[in-house]
Amino acid sequence: MFENTLFFLSATLTIVGAAGVVFSKNLMHACVLLLGSLFGIAGLYATIGADFLAASQLVIYAGGVVILMLFAVMLTGGSADSSNKFGIEKIPGMGSTKTYVIAGFSVLVISFTILKLMANFMKSYKAGELPAFSSTVEEIGTLLVTDHVLAFEISSILLLGALVGAAVIARPRKG
Amino acid sequence: MTAYTLDVYMPVIILMSLAVGLVLVSVFFAQILRPFKPSSLKEQAYECGEDPVGTAWSNFNVRFYVVSLIFIVFDVEGALMFPVAAIFRKFVAIGEGAVLVGSLLVFISVLVFGIIYCWSKGDLDWVRSFQLSDEQVNQLKGIEEKA
Amino acid sequence: MSPSLNEYLNQFEGHQKVIATVTEVLGFDATGLMTFIVFFTGAFVVVNVMALVGGLGTYAERKISADIQLRQGPNRVGPYGLLQFLADGVKMIMKEDIFPAQADKTLFNLAPLLALIGVFATLAVVPFSSGLTLANLNVGVFYLIGVSSLVGVAVFLGGYSANSKWSMLGGMRGASQIISYEVPVTISILTIVLISGGMSFGSFVGGQGGFPHEWYIFHNPFTFIGFFVFFVGMLAETNRAPFDLPEAESELVSGYHTEYTGMRFGLFALAEYIEVFVLCGVAAAAFLGGYRVPFNLGDGVVFVEKLGLPPIIGKNIGQVLQLGAFLTKTLFLYYVVIWVRWTFPRIRVDQVMTICWKYLTPLALFNLVGVTIWVFAFDGHSIWDVLGHMLSSGSGGGHH
Repeated sequence: MFENTLFFLSATLTIVGAAGVVFSKNLMHACVLLLGSLFGIAGLYATIGADFLAASQLVIYAGGVVILMLFAVMLTGGSADSSNKFGIEKIPGMGSTKTYVIAGFSVLVISFTILKLMANFMKSYKAGELPAFSSTVEEIGTLLVTDHVLAFEISSILLLGALVGAAVIARPRKG
Repeated sequence: MTAYTLDVYMPVIILMSLAVGLVLVSVFFAQILRPFKPSSLKEQAYECGEDPVGTAWSNFNVRFYVVSLIFIVFDVEGALMFPVAAIFRKFVAIGEGAVLVGSLLVFISVLVFGIIYCWSKGDLDWVRSFQLSDEQVNQLKGIEEKA
Repeated sequence: MSPSLNEYLNQFEGHQKVIATVTEVLGFDATGLMTFIVFFTGAFVVVNVMALVGGLGTYAERKISADIQLRQGPNRVGPYGLLQFLADGVKMIMKEDIFPAQADKTLFNLAPLLALIGVFATLAVVPFSSGLTLANLNVGVFYLIGVSSLVGVAVFLGGYSANSKWSMLGGMRGASQIISYEVPVTISILTIVLISGGMSFGSFVGGQGGFPHEWYIFHNPFTFIGFFVFFVGMLAETNRAPFDLPEAESELVSGYHTEYTGMRFGLFALAEYIEVFVLCGVAAAAFLGGYRVPFNLGDGVVFVEKLGLPPIIGKNIGQVLQLGAFLTKTLFLYYVVIWVRWTFPRIRVDQVMTICWKYLTPLALFNLVGVTIWVFAFDGHSIWDVLGHMLSSGSGGGHH
């Protein structure tokens, strides 16, 4: 009962948010709708029992990436106008008949391909067939320091690269 | 350990809907009770009595962006270290703690290196001092002399 | 130890009987419905109490500041001016709501809502007592960090949407300050996760005892420093003085809520006061033993054995004691937060960033390394255990 409620709430939030991001012409509104969509995805993770993944989704995406995007929009002035002060459109119009037809067609083709590939995995489990959910935190932690310790350590190098890269890009140029 | 049910998330959803409800109810009651006499003067942005010029939505300094970039790096670092920290005691208890201490220290030290790099290059300074080239210094001197 | 409110109630026969009766009357399994009712009632009570705490917070703020500055403070409405916050609330509802003409109306309405959702969602994991925890999530503290970051987004949007220069500056400052101080706060919490071996508040509090020497703040020298790092970071995350730059009244008029009037402004203020309470509660639970009562009075077994009370009453007396212990610690920290606000001058915007990135973050990382090595070297024992062991083995000559 509650599982279904949680799932439908999260799924609706995800889809409505994502659709809003696509259709919104205001960058700030798009960012906020993206926040809603990311929250919905966290709810979906929670529904399948991946509690740590859900919390990470909140911490990293809702807390970090959305703020980063909001600041990035502020770099451009962030005004509600769809064109900037030089009269150039920030979000070029994409809604011509030709684009809709092509997009609709490619969505059909891609989704059929994916469905064909996924058909084997799309099996619905009865209650009790899967092991009872327990905390995924400890499993993730154990895997991170045993089987995937290299990935764990290398990710720190990746983060270091990101840190240095961010610092270098933002540095004022001399001369 | 008892079987894990999704009921634990029920309070979260209830609390969030209560927040929405509180906002709707209070704004609704305020709507009924409060006066409503808008005028163009009231709706002006407050700038200490001056007429506002232009909009507030202007290009902001890049340093806000840099701060949030550095923040995300640490955020991801935290997210990766939390599960490892949660199992640390158990590994120590079975005598495998050295492995975890090693991997955690390596992980932290790489990031400490990053902080030291940013610090030494002055990226952590809010107000940045930067070296002018000789040409610019001479230009400035020229302006001063004219004045 | 019972993980959440529902499971706490489930151990009583009376509650089971109620579920059975309701099932009989309605003709379907009422466990889910009763769970919902229990959680809804719990959440509703908690929210109302928190709103009261938020309201009394404004009163306490004014009264304590008056005390510090040798003034009277509010003393007209009700006894000792206690009902001042109700008067303020009525005033806020009656005030005209002004929308700035050039504002982004959608976001302008959304910002206070986001702040309130973020703050209310954190209430789910606050451990008031071992029975009165709405949801003892496995990822408790990580979840709390995640949802409370909504407040940062709300502060930014509140500043942005009004399209006023003061608001914009306040919002930008606020968001960058909140995310910056999340780094030392998260790392300080990480040290506690290392010691307690779990991310839920249940495991945080479960690892501590009722007496101060069993608290994590006195567990080892690093956590002692860690507590102050956390506390300073907490002040900055909630925009409290001396870190109240986002709403610095002497330079930014009122910061991100300059253009907010009436109830919308009230909701922002409410969210802020509740957030302070929640973070004080987190500090109390993580470092100061949370709801633990000395001599294990909290689980109520003593009352049953010594006084011959029925177990149900003994248990509930224990719960009340636990609640009292938690509230005492939290409200003490709340007092300190207000005390700090009226004692220290506001710091400059560049100093905010310097304190975060050049002092607190390196200090927090140092603590993390220290705690890691401590837990590894002493097998998770506290400094008192280690000292006691050294003394006994030094003088007694090997009793073990």
